[in-house]
Amino acid sequence: MIKQMKMSRLWIIKLTLIVFLAAIISLAGYQLYTHRHFQVPLITGPGVTKVVKLSEYSPGIKGTMADTNVFFLEGSEEGGKILILANTHANEPAALLTALLFIENAVVDKGTMIIIPMFNNSAGRNTRPGDGYPLYFEIPTKWGSKKFRMGNRDASPLDQWPDPDVYVHYPDKQLLSFLDVRNTNRTWPGRAKGPLMERVTFGAMEIMRKENVDIAIDIHGAETMFPVTNCIVAPEKSMRIAVMTTLTVKSREHFDSHVEPSPSGFRGLSHREIGDYADTFPFLLEAPIPFLDQPTGPKTVDLLLDGKDPFLLSLSKKGKLFVPYDEEGWSMEKRVGQHCSVTLEIMSQYSKKNPDRTIRISSVPRYADVLKNGVGYYYHDPNKTDKKNIIYN
Amino acid sequence: METQIGIILAVMVFAYALAKWRNFSIELSMLFAAVAGGAAGALYNTPPPGQIFRHLVEGSFTYLDVILVFSTATIFMAIVSESGGVNYVVRSIIKHFYNIRFIALLLLMIIILIPGALTGAGSVSLLVVGAPVALALGYLGIDKRRVAAILFIVAGLSAAAPPVNIWAMILSAGTAIPYVGFELPLGIPVLLLGIFTVLFLGWKNEGTLDKQKVLEDMPEVPEKMSWWRVLLPFLVFFGLVVAYRIWPFATPIFGLALEFSIAGLVALLVSPKKIHILKLSSETMKRLLPLLATMVVVGMLQQIMTATGVRGLLSFAVISTPLVLLFIALIFIIPISEGVLTYGGAAIIGIPLIWFLDSIGLHATVAIAGLSLLWPLGDGLPPTALIGRLSVMVSGYKGTYWTFLKKTWVPWVVITIVGILMVLFSARLDFLVKWSM
Ligand SMILES: [Zn+2]
Repeated sequence: MIKQMKMSRLWIIKLTLIVFLAAIISLAGYQLYTHRHFQVPLITGPGVTKVVKLSEYSPGIKGTMADTNVFFLEGSEEGGKILILANTHANEPAALLTALLFIENAVVDKGTMIIIPMFNNSAGRNTRPGDGYPLYFEIPTKWGSKKFRMGNRDASPLDQWPDPDVYVHYPDKQLLSFLDVRNTNRTWPGRAKGPLMERVTFGAMEIMRKENVDIAIDIHGAETMFPVTNCIVAPEKSMRIAVMTTLTVKSREHFDSHVEPSPSGFRGLSHREIGDYADTFPFLLEAPIPFLDQPTGPKTVDLLLDGKDPFLLSLSKKGKLFVPYDEEGWSMEKRVGQHCSVTLEIMSQYSKKNPDRTIRISSVPRYADVLKNGVGYYYHDPNKTDKKNIIYN
Repeated sequence: METQIGIILAVMVFAYALAKWRNFSIELSMLFAAVAGGAAGALYNTPPPGQIFRHLVEGSFTYLDVILVFSTATIFMAIVSESGGVNYVVRSIIKHFYNIRFIALLLLMIIILIPGALTGAGSVSLLVVGAPVALALGYLGIDKRRVAAILFIVAGLSAAAPPVNIWAMILSAGTAIPYVGFELPLGIPVLLLGIFTVLFLGWKNEGTLDKQKVLEDMPEVPEKMSWWRVLLPFLVFFGLVVAYRIWPFATPIFGLALEFSIAGLVALLVSPKKIHILKLSSETMKRLLPLLATMVVVGMLQQIMTATGVRGLLSFAVISTPLVLLFIALIFIIPISEGVLTYGGAAIIGIPLIWFLDSIGLHATVAIAGLSLLWPLGDGLPPTALIGRLSVMVSGYKGTYWTFLKKTWVPWVVITIVGILMVLFSARLDFLVKWSM
């Protein structure tokens, strides 16, 4: 009898635990599923002339989560062409916010802008297990707030799996970490029929080759404790323009963004392979993102947006950070503003050197404007926008 | 904010201690710590209350791939063992090298290294080859206390040995440093330290058994067992690994889990003895369950600690400690963190540590390799003492746990010194990484 009672008590405990566990998993699963399928309205501004899918250039990603939108902003006058990539790493969101600023506002007078705002679309729908990120963040605007997914550095294993034991880079055969097979800043220049993320970077290479793109800008963010931060990474061929850009923004707009040479021995990076496999001049922009640093307080949306952290402040006083850092933190406005100005400046420096390939655009704010008005100021209300001008991604 | 995070950390420590005191297993105690940490954090809206369950579930997936590799590799080794392959090899070693002590010890050491090197878990070494090797060491005239000590140290080294070193994998993944180039920085010290350990603890012969008697006593091996049956599954596994490196653009990506499964299938097909695969694999998974549960819970704990800022606080503490003090502290902190949290220690203390060492100009890959020699030592320390307890069990040593542990102190100290020196001189040892690639 006693034994039976003990047995049934054990069963009751087990059953309760199973029910409880099932409830937790369903709830969390629902939250994660909703995140993966959450659509952000992207509004096409006056400059956008067409929107195509990346799969038009890389058919191997058609019908997969890796496929993404490519925005063309073609000027009335022929000129040079620029490709802007954002969310190569979808956990460095200043890039996406900058790209949308261009898509919603830019007016192209001469030349063409091609913008891929969610380059690693799969990573943008992935989370980062173990790192406790928030699922979304919101940018305040004049009409409410605009909600975005917080993504991950790597594509989702739901879209590309399994990983090899070690990733052999194509075509150099350099050995990279197994994780990097899902990292679109290691899979350049890519292959038409390689792993999914190689197909994504291949699509971008095809755009550059087929459209004769002059400049490619890949926008990122990096930790304040990482040496390669707050800078323009450029290979030899882009170096002159990068240096001129640094000097100009420093003297005219009073912010720092130094130049880092692209290391020739480390393969798979956009600033390395784009220049080697197309006639395009590549640049990679880094702005500090304190949220990604290790020694920070809780990983909150506030930290992501204002970049204020007491631990980093203390470490900064001990000289352990690679960027100046004070009570003001390192706000999203500052980061997006820098990206806007540096991008605009690279275009203007390139146009000066190559007048027949000029790219001239207007209506995009610069550093001081974004700092003053905030990022959301430049986003339009999707409820008051003609439906045909909204693309969900 | 420091106070807020301090309170959350205190709640987690308290929850862990309370659960341990109530005799809950280490995995459940860590789970309680994670849940309590999440709840305490929610009081400050870090994370928001509605996100606690999501964080717990998301965190549990952190090491899913490691868990899959671990499971398939262990089933593979279990099939090799069940087919009589391990007994066959150990028997051959005794038969041929009974009188050449140096070679016999060396080969037995390598046998212990292989399963752990392939799976990243010293426990797999002990579960799969521990018993026959312990028997063979006994026949070589080594008393049980020293056998247990050899098994413990070499099994620990096997877990650190390439190609799979879970501490290094966790540290690399957490610091965005490629998990490549570890073959020599890990392989060379592991081999040298392994040789030192078996010679130091096993050189003295205290027995007088003769060879014929020994061979009669050893477990029977199926008659049709042969070298090719033992080696073929391993050749298939390494063949698949090597094929991708030689023809990376023509070979499909299988992944380690499928490669181990294919090797396991081959082992099953060439086994001279019929193996009930369903029974064997379900038993193996049952034995692995505590380890797998640890990996799941460590991921949850890591996620909660990051979301609440506890990980940042610990990381801040590590970075703020003066360098000399830090290195002295590491000698104790690393094994103790492993003893309390198992792999959680590497994630929580190791990741910020590597960031820091990297930023002061040390070579991250070599530093990770050096530190990962220290972590396995902690598997002999309570409360978990996972490998230590298994070593005592497999060797059949009847004395107290502490008398066993005391026997390991010389190799323990030597390993610690080698590990710390590797970290200190990592910048000069970077050629090991280059040669590996
Ligand atoms: Zn990045």
